[in-house]
Amino acid sequence: MNRSAETDRGTWRLVARRDFWVRLRERSFIVSTLINLTVISVLILIRGLGGGGTPSFELGVVGESAVAQRLAANPAVAGIAVMLVPFQDTEAARASLRSGGVDAVIDGDSLVGLHTIAGPLQQGVQNAAASLRIEERVMALGGGTEDVAYVGETRPIAMGVLEPGDPDRDQNGAIAFIGVLLLYGQLFGYGVWVSSGVIEEKASRVVEILLSTIRARQLMAGKIVGIGLLGLGQLAFIATFAIALGLLVGAIDLPGSAIGAAGLVLGYFVLGYAFYASLFAVAGSLVTRMEELQNALVPINLVIFISFFISIGALQGPDGTVVRIASILPTSSALAMPVRIVLGSAEPWEIVLSIVLSVGATLLLIPLAGRLYAGALLRTGARVRLRDAWRAAA
Amino acid sequence: MPAGRLVGFVGRNGAGKTTAMRIALGVLQPDAGEVRWKGERVGALGRRRFGYMPEERGLYPRMRVLEQLVYLGRLHGMRPADARERAADLLQRLRVEAALTDRVESLSLGNQQRVQMAAALIHSPDVLILDEPFSGLDPTGVDVLARVLRGEAAQRGVPVVFSSHQLDLVERLCDGVILIERGRVVADGTIAALRASRSRNMLRIDTDGAADGWWEAVPGVDLEERVAGGVVLALTEAADPQRVLDVARAQGDVTRFGAVQKSLGELFREFVEDGAGE
Repeated sequence: MNRSAETDRGTWRLVARRDFWVRLRERSFIVSTLINLTVISVLILIRGLGGGGTPSFELGVVGESAVAQRLAANPAVAGIAVMLVPFQDTEAARASLRSGGVDAVIDGDSLVGLHTIAGPLQQGVQNAAASLRIEERVMALGGGTEDVAYVGETRPIAMGVLEPGDPDRDQNGAIAFIGVLLLYGQLFGYGVWVSSGVIEEKASRVVEILLSTIRARQLMAGKIVGIGLLGLGQLAFIATFAIALGLLVGAIDLPGSAIGAAGLVLGYFVLGYAFYASLFAVAGSLVTRMEELQNALVPINLVIFISFFISIGALQGPDGTVVRIASILPTSSALAMPVRIVLGSAEPWEIVLSIVLSVGATLLLIPLAGRLYAGALLRTGARVRLRDAWRAAA
Repeated sequence: MPAGRLVGFVGRNGAGKTTAMRIALGVLQPDAGEVRWKGERVGALGRRRFGYMPEERGLYPRMRVLEQLVYLGRLHGMRPADARERAADLLQRLRVEAALTDRVESLSLGNQQRVQMAAALIHSPDVLILDEPFSGLDPTGVDVLARVLRGEAAQRGVPVVFSSHQLDLVERLCDGVILIERGRVVADGTIAALRASRSRNMLRIDTDGAADGWWEAVPGVDLEERVAGGVVLALTEAADPQRVLDVARAQGDVTRFGAVQKSLGELFREFVEDGAGE
């Protein structure tokens, strides 16, 4: 490369602008945004509306049942709310059970469910039955109402732990899960867009005209930046939407940590995308038809998928050795590190190291990828081998 | 490259026309040598002043025509407003103004080719390099394209180089030709000069009553071929056509006398055969 470099330096911006705006108007972009918003809305709504409050049950009763009466009269003891539904006979009660009218039926001395019986309901019924028997015995032994009240009184013993865990861990886990899901989808989806954008130019041969005005590396840089900004913008939009919805329906109690997590997701998208995008561009430049792209992408896909897999595992055990290594290596840090940060398991030096390695690897990778891309771009027909692409651009 | 002229770039399939053009445009890197324009090496900035139409047509299929031309214009360093104005003007001259907001993929191949030409011209290039610009066009399309090219050459003094296998077209349109064979230029000049350099003057003479072999009396004259009613003679520089005519008239009645011009196609074949024989 001995052409003067300073002459067309700004042209990548034009490429970036085109790639940004053309894709923004594409149907696939609008559809993917809507799908993302829908999935996230569902996750948030399940959490916001489903969680919290006292679980309540409809309990069928055949004939008279002292246990059921006791449970209904004193539900707070069991921590549940119970509505009694009387039935004349076993048949009618079971029919209602099958049709979903009641959650379970007390029939004489037994509690009957359809497939299973909810844990809190089991516990409530067993507690009520046990305390009834104790009261009966106390009265039979001549105990007065005071004695009955005494044994009926629940006095839970105090509980404590020596090393308390993070009280927000549950919510942070949910945020990390949504974050890693988004990051995976975004890294992969926008990477594929880079590849297919390269193929579009190669297959339509417009690349020959483009290369007569702009150098291959500028073209690659523009494409990566344009598509990346679109991905970043979409991610920011989705994150804003998710936080607003979460606050609205009460799924997020800690807006600070949610916003922090959103910032992490955006930041690690930039790092991960920068690392992978040039590889996706090379994969696209090696083939001429969309059908061949899947094969060319296999190695990249595999690495990203394994990283995703490890990161999902990190939700349960953020301190495992594999997870810690994955969170530092540039190939997987963009997915694994944000999980560990959100769960509070990452040491500051680990975070700094992962960022330094990621940026360093990206800076090393881009010139290599640029050379392969430039060498492969004008070769149509059969899939270009990496070695040939490397030599072609020498 | 002479200003304001149309030059045909001809050669056999695989002779290196497309490769030479790609190198001129910086699409490919040369193994050796360099690209010069007005005596100076051409860098990336200089190349942006070239207009190029590749043999394998290429535009973004799903982008709209005007949008696409403006984008290409901007890659060449134009301002958006100028690019828009120039694009509209070109499309009108190329008779595809109705396609302004159509997607390229929805156009007929002929119209796509006209848009492709507009893409090569969008930035008012200083040099036009066109790879097979006329292939696949109907005669009307050829005329429209030729008129636009002549216009660019005449009004703005732009040198136009185009490759073509349609040699009759090259002969009709071009002031000069460059002939290459196996990557080397084997001929470069006006068609007339090419003719003069390659073949001796040819005379066609039909006579009535002259004995066979009458021309043997004239020095510097050889029989090229016998044709119905007469002969074609090849003359060396030294031979005088008037002398040939005098001899012929002395032998009988001359019914036809004139210079024979080889077509570019025939010249081309001669060059190629020479090249193959080397």
